[in-house]
Amino acid sequence: MTDRKLLEIRNLNVEYRTDDEIVYAVNSLDLSLNSGESLGLVGETGAGKSTTALSILQLVADPPGKTTSGEILFEGEDLLKAKKDFLRHIRGNKISMIFQDPMTSLNPVYSVGDQIAEVIYLHEKCSKSEAQQKAAEMLETVGIPKERYDEYPHQFSGGMKQRVVIAMSIACSPQLILADEPTTALDVTIQAQVLELMNDLKVKFNTSLLLITHDLGVVAQVCDRVAIMYAGEIVEIGTVEEVFENPKHPYTVGLFRSIPQLDEKVDRLKPIKGQMPDPTNLPSGCKFHPRCPHAIEACTKIQPAMTNVKGTHIVKCFIHEGKFESTELMEEVK
Amino acid sequence: MNTTIIPSKNQGSEILPEKKKKSQLVSIWKRLKKNKLAVAGLIILSFIGLTAAFANVLFDYNTVVIQQNAAERLQPPSAKHWLGTDELGRDILARIVHGARISIPIAFTTILIATVVGGLIGAISGYGSKRVDNFIMRIMDIFLAIPGILLSIAIVAALGPSLRNLLIAISIANIPPFARIVRASVLSIRNEEFIEAARAIGANGVRIIFKHIIPNSMAPVIVQATLCIAGSILEIAALSFIGLGIQPPAPEWGAMLSGGRQYIRYAWWICAFPGIAIMLTILSLNLLGDGLRDALDPKLKN
Amino acid sequence: MVDNILEVRNLKKHFKSKNGTLHAVDDVSFSIKRGQTLGLVGESGCGKSTIGRLILGLHQATSGEILFNGQDICKMNKAQIHNLRKELQIIFQDPFASLNPRMTIGEIIGEPLLIYKKVKRRAELDSEVRRLMDVVGLSKRFINSYPHELDGGRRQRVGIARALSLNPQFIVCDEPVSSLDVSIQAQVLNLLKDLQAEYGLTYLFITHDLSVVKYFSDKIAVMYLGQLVEGAESDELFKKTIHPYTQALLSAIPVPNIHQKMKRVKLIGEITSPINPEPGCRFAKRCLYAQEKCVGQDLELKDFGNSHFCSCTRADELLNVTL
Repeated sequence: MTDRKLLEIRNLNVEYRTDDEIVYAVNSLDLSLNSGESLGLVGETGAGKSTTALSILQLVADPPGKTTSGEILFEGEDLLKAKKDFLRHIRGNKISMIFQDPMTSLNPVYSVGDQIAEVIYLHEKCSKSEAQQKAAEMLETVGIPKERYDEYPHQFSGGMKQRVVIAMSIACSPQLILADEPTTALDVTIQAQVLELMNDLKVKFNTSLLLITHDLGVVAQVCDRVAIMYAGEIVEIGTVEEVFENPKHPYTVGLFRSIPQLDEKVDRLKPIKGQMPDPTNLPSGCKFHPRCPHAIEACTKIQPAMTNVKGTHIVKCFIHEGKFESTELMEEVK
Repeated sequence: MNTTIIPSKNQGSEILPEKKKKSQLVSIWKRLKKNKLAVAGLIILSFIGLTAAFANVLFDYNTVVIQQNAAERLQPPSAKHWLGTDELGRDILARIVHGARISIPIAFTTILIATVVGGLIGAISGYGSKRVDNFIMRIMDIFLAIPGILLSIAIVAALGPSLRNLLIAISIANIPPFARIVRASVLSIRNEEFIEAARAIGANGVRIIFKHIIPNSMAPVIVQATLCIAGSILEIAALSFIGLGIQPPAPEWGAMLSGGRQYIRYAWWICAFPGIAIMLTILSLNLLGDGLRDALDPKLKN
Repeated sequence: MVDNILEVRNLKKHFKSKNGTLHAVDDVSFSIKRGQTLGLVGESGCGKSTIGRLILGLHQATSGEILFNGQDICKMNKAQIHNLRKELQIIFQDPFASLNPRMTIGEIIGEPLLIYKKVKRRAELDSEVRRLMDVVGLSKRFINSYPHELDGGRRQRVGIARALSLNPQFIVCDEPVSSLDVSIQAQVLNLLKDLQAEYGLTYLFITHDLSVVKYFSDKIAVMYLGQLVEGAESDELFKKTIHPYTQALLSAIPVPNIHQKMKRVKLIGEITSPINPEPGCRFAKRCLYAQEKCVGQDLELKDFGNSHFCSCTRADELLNVTL
């Protein structure tokens, strides 16, 4: 695949404003995604992952949400400046979104087949019957027999519903799929099936994928690159190999150490101390410094810059300049 | 007891001062303040309440409100009589101010009775067995099938018009909606996990109802009560209008409307001002009720 | 002191629904030694939470016995169950839903103490609540806060403090960390472990997450549609997984390790309904190894040494297959 940039986000800032406070959800975020590539966006609740995805499609509710600055270039076009008509043309057609909860993202009064057909009919100049035929094909693609075309969402189980949602999202062969925690609401065995399906479809249709998740395991199974988000910022980004084998940012290291491992018996987990910072009152300097075991004086005052460590591996932390014994930490991670 | 093992203890958060116990009322007031319309409603309401409270200071009941004065009958609004006089020469402003002393207390009392009785019936229905629930709710359905005003008319007509019977009639007519609302919120709350948690720590039925279910089901009841007071004022006026409520010469708003209706063509003020008084009271109660609906939800932070 | 604090024998719980009888828990037996942790693992709808509620007497069992310190919970009257709650507590999954939104943190933690009249004066209640908050690592400035003002991790600490307030011997942990973020999840797991060591608590740890359960449990029991399919010491189960369902469950976990791409044991289809199940292995419809002998008659758990129990009819053959 060519290295053409499909999506590029530059210096994105999104806030939610209420009467007495401002929630800084996304803070000067830079991100790019090549076509055919899949990027995992990892972070905890309130890290700003979903807001990032919603702002790509300009779906952040305004008010209270407000994009204060930045550019979101999709195929070179700035979506933040785009007209409503153009955005409507993009949504579902070139960029589609899969939401976390398949139970609520399907309309209960239409049959699943017709819901897929509607997306196709809206975006492709074709007749209703052509759209229906294509919808039936899409159902087959995601492993649902087309005999179930006329059934309603409540007749499907959770995993099957998520398959329908996926079928809907790929129906117009989009260039980019934004998947917001697509498997979090599912049981593990079903999650495994859905992830496998997504992997297959990604290869088959050569779609780019922005996968939002809190689960590093899911990223390892599906993604090429990974970005770690903390308090509205990306703190570490690189290929899956780079980040998983050699995590550099103390937060990333902390995340890995918080996960109980299957292949090793540990007596005690080593969690990151403290809680996520209050997004209305973010710490100065590096936003992770109050929880960071390695924080030094400078971290409390100055924002570290994004620094390229090796290859495409970029970290936002002062310590990576030699003071950080990553090999030692890696032992613990593994 | 050794507690040093706890990882998150040394977070430095202990330095922060302990939060003062903030009464729920304070936070409800803070949220209510943000709703301009609700505050407007509250101001109008307090104004009406205050004038009603000091009615005797403003206008003497026997000499101004009741006493007829043939010389000054049907006077239009003027400097002497701001809102004019009625067909018997009584000052309309004085009668409206004193009228509030009748309508508002009766409305509050009837709704209080309806809330307590209806709430109790609803709580029993919601927390009780299916058969109890069915039995109570079908009776309520029968009541609901009859329009409230008709029910009140029937009750007053049967018992005879008097203040006490008016109270009984309007209270009874308002019980079924309260029973329904309380039952619905009890039903949804009793399935919440914190009720199960309360059972798990050994709380008995009485404690669960009073400590866990009732505080959580109060919000819709308070809202409904505010809106129903408005309805009740209307019902009192309506009953008085058709002569089944407050009897003349007592200055009840509905009765004033009724009395003035013959003269409406050439003395519009007799009907207009009591009507406006009713409308303003009801409007402000409705605005306040709507504001309370949002302010009472503890999960809505701002 | 390694006696069984809890013994569950042939426990059944059936719910009547309009489509038939829902076999939420069907003939489940297990035991937990004092001071240990049993991990009860399964997917949604397998009946694991129902077992937790049956043990607490929040549901009435259809049949079977639950012996707590030798006494059958299923035969207890109201007063006995009330007394039992001092010894037996539960931590709920959803720290949002399990705390009364109209009570302050202090009131929530102190409520059990008031109910059981463990404290005589207000000051005593206050100091006991503060001690409990300290034990679970909750800053005391939250004593007058309401639950919605706290984040998930802190709320779950409130739930833990409430469960600890009566000094119980046994705590049912119903998915206590599954709604929390990973970094907070690890904090809460560590807290639960510390409390176990300090107070000699016994846990029934209900979860769907095998990696958490491995970290946390001495013994593990795997459930599928209301029945136990496999049970063993934690290490043993991970070393020698017998039942095809446990294998599938294990392989389905996405491992955060890029060199270990999924070598997945595929499962056909989805979980079937536990309403009016047919006799035989309930997993047979999704199982790769299913044969005719798997259906038709009910299965029993067989011992495969090291107190490793499994209900699979083809367990002997599967033991020799390396996956």
